[in-house]
Amino acid sequence: MKLIKKHIPLAIVVVTGLFTVASYYIPNKTSVDYLEMINKWENIVSAFAFLLGLISLFYSHFSKISRRTDGWGYSLFVFIGFAAMVVPAVLMHGKQMEAGQVTSLGWAFRSIYNPLSATMFAVLAFYIVSTAYRSFRIKSGQALVLFVAAFILILGKVPLGQIVWDKALGWTHYGVDQVIEWIMSVPAVAGKRGIMIGISIGTVVTSLKIIFGIERQYMGKD
Amino acid sequence: MKYNRSIFMLLPLLLAAAPLNAAKPAAPKAPDAPLLGVTAADMPYDVGNALLLRWPVNPADDADASYQVFVSSQENGGWIKAADFAASANKGKDIDLPFWAWNGGAAEHAVKVELADFFGEFKPGTVFGLKVAALRKGKQYAESEPLKASPRGNWFRLDRLNNLLLLIVIVVVFFMAVSHAKRKGLFIRRIAGLDAIDEAIGRATEMGKPIYYCPGIGTMSTISTIASTFILGEVSKKVAQYDSYIKVPHYDPIVMTVCKEVVKQSYLEAGRPDSYREDLNYFVSADQFSYAASVDGMISREKPAACFFMGYFMAESLLLAEVGATTGAIQIAGTDIEHQLPFFFTACDYTLIGEELYAAGAYLSKEPMLMSALKVQDFGKLVVMLAVFFGAIVLAAGTWLHWDSFVQVILNLFKAY
Repeated sequence: MKLIKKHIPLAIVVVTGLFTVASYYIPNKTSVDYLEMINKWENIVSAFAFLLGLISLFYSHFSKISRRTDGWGYSLFVFIGFAAMVVPAVLMHGKQMEAGQVTSLGWAFRSIYNPLSATMFAVLAFYIVSTAYRSFRIKSGQALVLFVAAFILILGKVPLGQIVWDKALGWTHYGVDQVIEWIMSVPAVAGKRGIMIGISIGTVVTSLKIIFGIERQYMGKD
Repeated sequence: MKYNRSIFMLLPLLLAAAPLNAAKPAAPKAPDAPLLGVTAADMPYDVGNALLLRWPVNPADDADASYQVFVSSQENGGWIKAADFAASANKGKDIDLPFWAWNGGAAEHAVKVELADFFGEFKPGTVFGLKVAALRKGKQYAESEPLKASPRGNWFRLDRLNNLLLLIVIVVVFFMAVSHAKRKGLFIRRIAGLDAIDEAIGRATEMGKPIYYCPGIGTMSTISTIASTFILGEVSKKVAQYDSYIKVPHYDPIVMTVCKEVVKQSYLEAGRPDSYREDLNYFVSADQFSYAASVDGMISREKPAACFFMGYFMAESLLLAEVGATTGAIQIAGTDIEHQLPFFFTACDYTLIGEELYAAGAYLSKEPMLMSALKVQDFGKLVVMLAVFFGAIVLAAGTWLHWDSFVQVILNLFKAY
C-alpha cells in the first residue's frame, strides 16, 4: 500500500521534475516533444478533473436546496444558469453563429454571460475607490510616503493637476510628468524587483523541495 | 584636298565594317565579384531550426553598402530572401550569446536564418542552400558561392551554463541546509501574518463562525497554488484542533482534489477524523468573475470570522478582499503576483509578500527539513545582494576606465539566456 500511495507517486514526481529541469538546458527536439507531451497530459487530466468539479458543484448546491439552508434560493440559480448555457450549447452544437445569425448559445453568451462578467469587473472600480480611501488615511510615516506618491500620480494624470503643479512648483523646473516618471521607474521598479527576486528564489527552492520529495503534503503523509 | 579624298576612301571601308560589328554577339555582362570567406553552419545551442552565416566585414563598406541573404530548400534556384540589412548591422557581436559560447566579434558579419519562418516544419537532416549578395546603392556587385548546410538539434544550451552552475550551487546549499537542519535546529525570523493565523482561528472558534480559505485561481502547476496547499494543511490542522469550521471554495477541480486530500490528512493528524466532511472543499466555478461573485456572496451572507486568501490572484483579489473587509473578518492574504499585492495590503490585516507565501508552510509546520529551505532562500537573497552590490561597483569602475571587454564579461555572467 505504501508503495502505491507513497513511493510510486514520489518516483513520478522526482523523475518528471528532473526531466523538466533538464529540458531547460537541452534544446533538442526530444526535449521539446517531452514538454509538449507533458502539457497535453495536463490538459487531458484537467478535462477529466472538470467532471469532478461539476459533481462537487451540483452536490454542494443540491444539498443546500434539500436541507433548505440559509440562502438556498441562490443555489437554484446554479442549476438555472447551467441549463441556460448548456441546453443551447447542446442544441446548437456549440456554435454561436450560424448562417450569419446569432444562435441561442450566442445570445446566451452575449446577453447573459458577458453582461454579468462585465458587471463584476465594473464593481472593481468602486472597490478601488474605497480601498484608495482606506490606504490614504495617514497613520504612519510609510503611509505618508505612499500618500504623497499616489497624490502626485493622481495630480499628474489630470490637466487641472498639471496646471496647479506648474503654478505652485513651476519654479523648480521639474514638470509633474518628470516626477511621475522618476517615481515609476526608480523607487517603484526597485521595490518591484526586490519582490520579484525574492519570489524567483522562493520558486526555485519550493520546486527543489517538491522534486526531491522533502515537501510531500500535497499527496498526504502516509 | 588629298586629306578629303582619303576620308572618302575610308568611308566605304567603315560602312562595310559596320555590319560586321553589328553581327558580333554582345559581350557578356561581367560576372559579379565573388564574396569570399562566407561560411554556413548549424546555429549552435538551438532546437535545430536555424542556420548561421558568417563572413568577414569588408573594410570598403560605407553607408551605401548593404547585404542580402538568400535561402533555398531546392537543389537549384528557388531562392528566398531571408535578410536584407545595412553593412553596419548584423555583426558577430550582435549575436545574443555569451563569451564562453560565442567568439564572434565586430570584424565579421553573422546572420541567423530562422528556417521555420520560410519553410515551416521540415524533416531533420534537410540540406538548405544559402548565399549572400553584396550591394552598393541598391545594386548588386558581389555574390557568394551557394553554400549547403543542414540544421541539427543540439544537446546542451552552453549559453545557459551560468544558470546551470547557479542551480548546482543552490542544490548543494539546499542539501547542506537539509543535512544541517537534521542535526541542529534553525532560527527563523518571525512572520507576523503567520503568527496571526492562531488568532484568526481562535476568533472563529469563539464566534462560532466559519473560516474561508481561498486558494486563488491558479492551477496545480502554479507554485503559489502549491504553496497555498501547504498552508491550507497547517491551517486546517489548527481548525480541526480548535474544532472550528473551514470552507474552501475552489476555482480549479484539480486543486480541489489535492486540497481535499490535504485537509483530510490534517484532520487525521489532529486526531479529529470524525469532524472531516467531504464538502469542506467544493468547486465553485472555473470562471474568474463567477468565482469572485459566488465567493463574495457566500462571505456577505455567512460573515465569516476569518478569511484567508493564499495563492494566485488576479483582478478578483480586491473583489474578494474588500467584501471580506466589509464583513469585519480578520483577513490574511498572500500572493506572488506583485501587482495584486497593493490591493491585499490595503484590504487585509496581514499580507504575505511573495517569498513569505512559499515559506509559510515550513514556518507553520516547524519541521526542520522544511525550515531548512527557508535558509536556502536566505542564502539566495544574500548571493543576489552581494552580486548587485559588487556588480554595480565593478561595472561602474569598468565603464569609467573604458574596460569594455571586462564590462561585457560581467554582463554576460549575470545575464539569463
